[in-house]
Amino acid sequence: MNSIYAKWKYLLAAFLSIWFVVWGINAISLENKHRYVPAAILGQEVDFNRDIRPIINKKCIACHGGVKKSGGFSLLFEEEALAVNESGERAIVPGSIRKSELIKRINHRDPEYRMPLEGEPLENEEIALLTKWINQGARWKDHWAYIPPEPQQIPNISDPWIQNDIDKFILSKLNKEKLLPNPKSDRYTLLRRVSLDLTGLPPTLEEMEAFIGDESDSAFEKVVDRLLASPAFGERWAAMWMDMARYADSKGYEADRPRSIWKYRDWLIKAFNDNVPFDQFITLQLAGDLLPNPTDEQLIATAFHRNTMNNDEGGTDNEEYRTVALIDRVNTTWSVLQGTTMECVQCHSHPYDPIRHENFYQSMAFFNQSADADIPSESPTLVQFKEEEDLQKLSRVKNWAATHPGKKDSVYFEKLIRITEPKLHPHYFEQMEKDIPIRGTATFKVTDSVYSFTKEVPLMSEDRIMLRYRADTSVGTLQIRLDNKEGELIGSIPVNRKTKTEYNKEVKKDKIYTINETVSFPVKPISGKRDIYLVLEGNTGLKTECTIEWVLFHHALPGEEESGFEEIARDFHEIFNSTNEKVTTPIMLELKDGYRRKTNVFEKGSWMSHGEQVEPGVPAKWNALTPTMEKNRLGLAQWLTDPDNPLTARVTVNRFWEQLFGLGIVETIEDFGSQGFAPTHPELLDWLALQFVHEHQWDIKKLLKQLVMSATYQQSSHMREDLEQVDPRNQLLARGPRLRLTAEQVRDQALAVSGLLSPKMFGPSVMPEQPEGIWQVVYSGGNKWETSSGEDKYRRALYTFWRRTSPYPSFISFDAPSREVCLPRRIDTNTPLQALVSLNDPVYLETAQGLARRTLESSPEANPEKLIAIMYGFAMARGLDHEKLQDLIELYRQTQVYFDNDPGAICQFTGEEDKELAVMTVMANVIMNLDEFVMKS
Amino acid sequence: MNLQQELQYRTLQRETRRHFLKQCAQGLGSIALGSLIGCGASSTQEEQASAVMESLAAKMPHFAPTAKRIIYLHMAGAPSQLELFDYKPELGKLDGKDCPPSLLEGKKFAFIQGVPKMLGPQAEFKPRGESGMMISDWLPHFSTIADDVSLIRTMHTDEFNHAPAQLLLQTGGPRLGRPSMGSWVTYGLGSDNENLPGFMVLVSGGNTPDAGKSVWGSGFLPSVYQGVQCRSEGDPVLFVSNPEGMSRDLRRNTIDAINKINDKEYQEMGDPEILTRISQYEMSFRMQTSVPEVMDIKDEPAYIHDMYGTEPGKTSFANNCLLARRLVEQGVRFVQLFDWGWDTHGVSEGDSIEGGLKNKCSQVDRPMTALIKDLKQRGLLDETLVVWGGEFGRTPMQENRGGKVWPFKGRDHHTEAFPIWMAGGGVKGGYTHGETDEIGYYGIKDKVHVHDLQATIMHLLGMDHEKFTYFAQGRDFRLTDVAGKVVHKIIA
Repeated sequence: MNSIYAKWKYLLAAFLSIWFVVWGINAISLENKHRYVPAAILGQEVDFNRDIRPIINKKCIACHGGVKKSGGFSLLFEEEALAVNESGERAIVPGSIRKSELIKRINHRDPEYRMPLEGEPLENEEIALLTKWINQGARWKDHWAYIPPEPQQIPNISDPWIQNDIDKFILSKLNKEKLLPNPKSDRYTLLRRVSLDLTGLPPTLEEMEAFIGDESDSAFEKVVDRLLASPAFGERWAAMWMDMARYADSKGYEADRPRSIWKYRDWLIKAFNDNVPFDQFITLQLAGDLLPNPTDEQLIATAFHRNTMNNDEGGTDNEEYRTVALIDRVNTTWSVLQGTTMECVQCHSHPYDPIRHENFYQSMAFFNQSADADIPSESPTLVQFKEEEDLQKLSRVKNWAATHPGKKDSVYFEKLIRITEPKLHPHYFEQMEKDIPIRGTATFKVTDSVYSFTKEVPLMSEDRIMLRYRADTSVGTLQIRLDNKEGELIGSIPVNRKTKTEYNKEVKKDKIYTINETVSFPVKPISGKRDIYLVLEGNTGLKTECTIEWVLFHHALPGEEESGFEEIARDFHEIFNSTNEKVTTPIMLELKDGYRRKTNVFEKGSWMSHGEQVEPGVPAKWNALTPTMEKNRLGLAQWLTDPDNPLTARVTVNRFWEQLFGLGIVETIEDFGSQGFAPTHPELLDWLALQFVHEHQWDIKKLLKQLVMSATYQQSSHMREDLEQVDPRNQLLARGPRLRLTAEQVRDQALAVSGLLSPKMFGPSVMPEQPEGIWQVVYSGGNKWETSSGEDKYRRALYTFWRRTSPYPSFISFDAPSREVCLPRRIDTNTPLQALVSLNDPVYLETAQGLARRTLESSPEANPEKLIAIMYGFAMARGLDHEKLQDLIELYRQTQVYFDNDPGAICQFTGEEDKELAVMTVMANVIMNLDEFVMKS
Repeated sequence: MNLQQELQYRTLQRETRRHFLKQCAQGLGSIALGSLIGCGASSTQEEQASAVMESLAAKMPHFAPTAKRIIYLHMAGAPSQLELFDYKPELGKLDGKDCPPSLLEGKKFAFIQGVPKMLGPQAEFKPRGESGMMISDWLPHFSTIADDVSLIRTMHTDEFNHAPAQLLLQTGGPRLGRPSMGSWVTYGLGSDNENLPGFMVLVSGGNTPDAGKSVWGSGFLPSVYQGVQCRSEGDPVLFVSNPEGMSRDLRRNTIDAINKINDKEYQEMGDPEILTRISQYEMSFRMQTSVPEVMDIKDEPAYIHDMYGTEPGKTSFANNCLLARRLVEQGVRFVQLFDWGWDTHGVSEGDSIEGGLKNKCSQVDRPMTALIKDLKQRGLLDETLVVWGGEFGRTPMQENRGGKVWPFKGRDHHTEAFPIWMAGGGVKGGYTHGETDEIGYYGIKDKVHVHDLQATIMHLLGMDHEKFTYFAQGRDFRLTDVAGKVVHKIIA
């Protein structure tokens, strides 16, 4: 055991020697550094984006933009800006300031006429710029983000600091600012930084030793390759993407009931670990179901957009909330993949960016053909059977269909069993009672006095109908009729009450419950759009009531005359009614012809007021939809991943950059539009984007490796006085990133260093310890937080059950979102509530005790100094500064005295009569609350 | 110099530097509002980011406020106006008759189907106080303070389901993702107590509101502005208690050690976030006493318990009313109470008008009255605005869910007319605002939309709701969206 300490003494010495190097950077005079003198004033050409657009966006566009067009004048599009206005004048006449009304109006002496109206006049400098711009021909330029990235010259610069081409961009800008970068971080800091960044977990002592001991030039690269290949890599990046996907284990809204969608989370982990190229990664998520013969994994990937909320509240209009989900899909897609604030365009043209009102609905048209409809069952779902019995039935049915030629093949029947679409949902039906129509929500009824119908069902000669229903008697016949309630009878089935008997705890005896049954029966094949009526025949006064969940027309299994058919038909029936455990995952599924929906513009964004009909399409400023791209989600994915798309690659490299450096090259990673921030290093952004697409072929691991192999990433994160003045937020990157761990990493690190972390991957979400009374959600009787047992208590944070209305409290304290909608960027805060979590949350005390135990077990003979140094080593994977050690020793002594004076507190605190454990748990609690522990330097 | 002094000194030094770094005048420490006054239409993202740091210091409003604090009593589920505040004798005459089709055309209801029957008022009303305000017999205590409140009878909303309507009322938008009123107010005005959060939430009735914790969420505002829920069982604020076996002295020692080491880390790394962390650990230590202290009502005198009907240790609306008074006394800016259980559809006795509603009235009547009287006797009512109401009203028709006649009397959700009352904070006493038609279905005079209520509340707090914005998702947002008119008639 002493040997560990011996190694640590070595580490400590090595560490200290690096630690106390003073960075010899002189403060640089920065006088007048930030006085902005527009180039144009000095006689150069006015640049629209650099010089003019900021004036327009700040001073003009509120009245002359996408929302208001006062006087018929808008500065959103060039053609609008140059057009004749309501007054008959042209605001801008290129080359002629005399004819340009704009120049007259901004210079006008009468405040009634001067622009901006009711505002301060423009600055002289601004007037000079606008004048010069018009004089020079009023050259309009698209906002930089809509111009595809252009090949960039790598700055021709050499310096021993440089490790790869990224550094040349960074250093050349630093040179311009007369700043020097920081030297490389010490190895301890560096390994902890890169381990947390790539895998979300801190390095182990062994990993640290191996790295410190590896004197080869490629030591760091080896580490990076190891981390990229680690299974934890996928977990760390899935956790990031789950914010984009607004992943949650519940449906949201009032009752916020559980949703089984963890298969999608598992898919994400595997996709990152398998390094699925980013273009495929998004294609699968947007349109996996549209690929030829999609696999389960490809279907599950589409759950990305099934993470929208589903409103089960009684009385809500399913179509309204389907629309809300649809709008969310548009907003999320544009925000995550295009850095564009499409939500503005729901109600009117974009106030600042060149996107027209109808563009929103053209985008929506891509998503509007998915079969989901805000139904409580979340249909369409993919069923994955688990029990051998079910699997065998499925395989027998498939096998039968494959060996008996008929109209439909075995793929059809497998889909019918596992996806069961296209369903006719209750809200498609009108229930007629005394001739008053009532619309169903979760179910609809057919009784002695109520019939139900649905209009214009696109029938395609299906010869069977399937429905899921329950009946409270077994009397009468349920009839399917065409066109009206007395219309042609095309099929019927005797009503059957199915029951189960179960012991009831409250009345303490067996009770009989009516249960649902899925039945399929023959109908006369019809082709074309017809109205379907469901009628109950045979009134016996028993008041039979059928409650129906859904209806589906389908084709019969082949080989009805063959021997063995009866068994197959039984398998077919039983598998639909199997109560065995299975996994269901909501997926996207394109509606078939005949079922497809029309998409209309919503006037002022309201789903109730339909404007003109639109087809799938994209805004004109972007790359065009080429003829090879179909007008469906797959085409949309192809358009997004087309190398000509100006934004996908930029937004993506920027997102990964932000994850490592804390700030994106474009800080507003969610908004690349003209109201977002301009890139700090535009050339680097474009260079990285082009590299990502063309060199790396969308390879995420290559991109991440490129980023972490740079000297920019590896430099020390020490703040220097000169930087504190000129670059307090580290936009120029003269120092390395120093960031707080994410909510997930805070938990994972605590579990890892305490030795409690379970390495188990995948599976249903788990419930680690949480205070009582967090889940007080209405109408959620059966849904309780039941703390998981065994290792499931200690899983990584991303496996924690995420309920939207009551997320796990400590995650929320550390700035995790509730995931109701996509939140592309978390803003770190630093609050007392975070301190209370890491000081007092029982989960964090358990980890502190775990760390204490681990320390004591590793070196039972050690003195307090050694023990504390070892504990710190387990936590930080490095040696402890002498002065800090003294502070901890002082606390150690105080704590010993405390427990000596109050021995009863020992057992209260630890559950055991072990003073040393109690004292060391306090020490661990302190070490795990240090700034350096919750930060990565 | 000891650590504390040094910390203060360094923080000051840093603030000064920041001050010079920023070109924008910031008024009296106000970022959010300073930028409104000094720097054009909206605060930039950079300013907002750094504002987080100084987020909770007290700030100056736009103009002199009449209310400095607010207690909002939200009756989640929506109480019936027809039994409590909107006296409709004509409706009584129609009791049991078919609802005229004109009231049903083009309407969407949550549960009413086909043609329902009209349902007369189930409670008696009398004029109260000098003002003669009509108030139900079911609120005998409240009837004694009629002259202290302004009653708006003509509130209306756009949403007829609980969750969206609660969100519209509390966040200005019916969908999730907007900051709640309390977040806006603490963002704009900060907190007057550095030992307690500026926005605190108390829940009774057994459930959180239908829309969940989003009704006190911070939306796109930084998370420091979200409401902090105080619980009456377990820790009043999550994790505020030390673990068993750890005394306050030992906790002090550990925080001293943490802060000493963090200070060394600061000397080494120079990252000002470390100083913030040191001060946040100090604040958390102070909260460990200030929160349980303010939440402990045991030491209140007997006459106070009697007045409110409080029982220490219980979760109740009464306890929460008393806590609300204690919190505003300590300078908490926004105290939000939610009381669940007002959704009286008449499907069971518990949610019927004659059972559930009457019972809820008896639960809240005494404590809400006591709250007003208590604030008044302490001289706090003048500066504290108290608001009471649900997220919408109830139909004058009897609910007939599933097309059936139910054995209990209930009313469905109704958006067109519902009451809110306000007291203190600069509103008139004994004033009734607005008039509804003969059956309490539509407002016919002085209608007040939910956004108007929000505009009025902001106005009383000294804020111009049209100028108080936050830049997010590509545009400026405000609590009242694109609407809202201040109801000047209720202001004294």
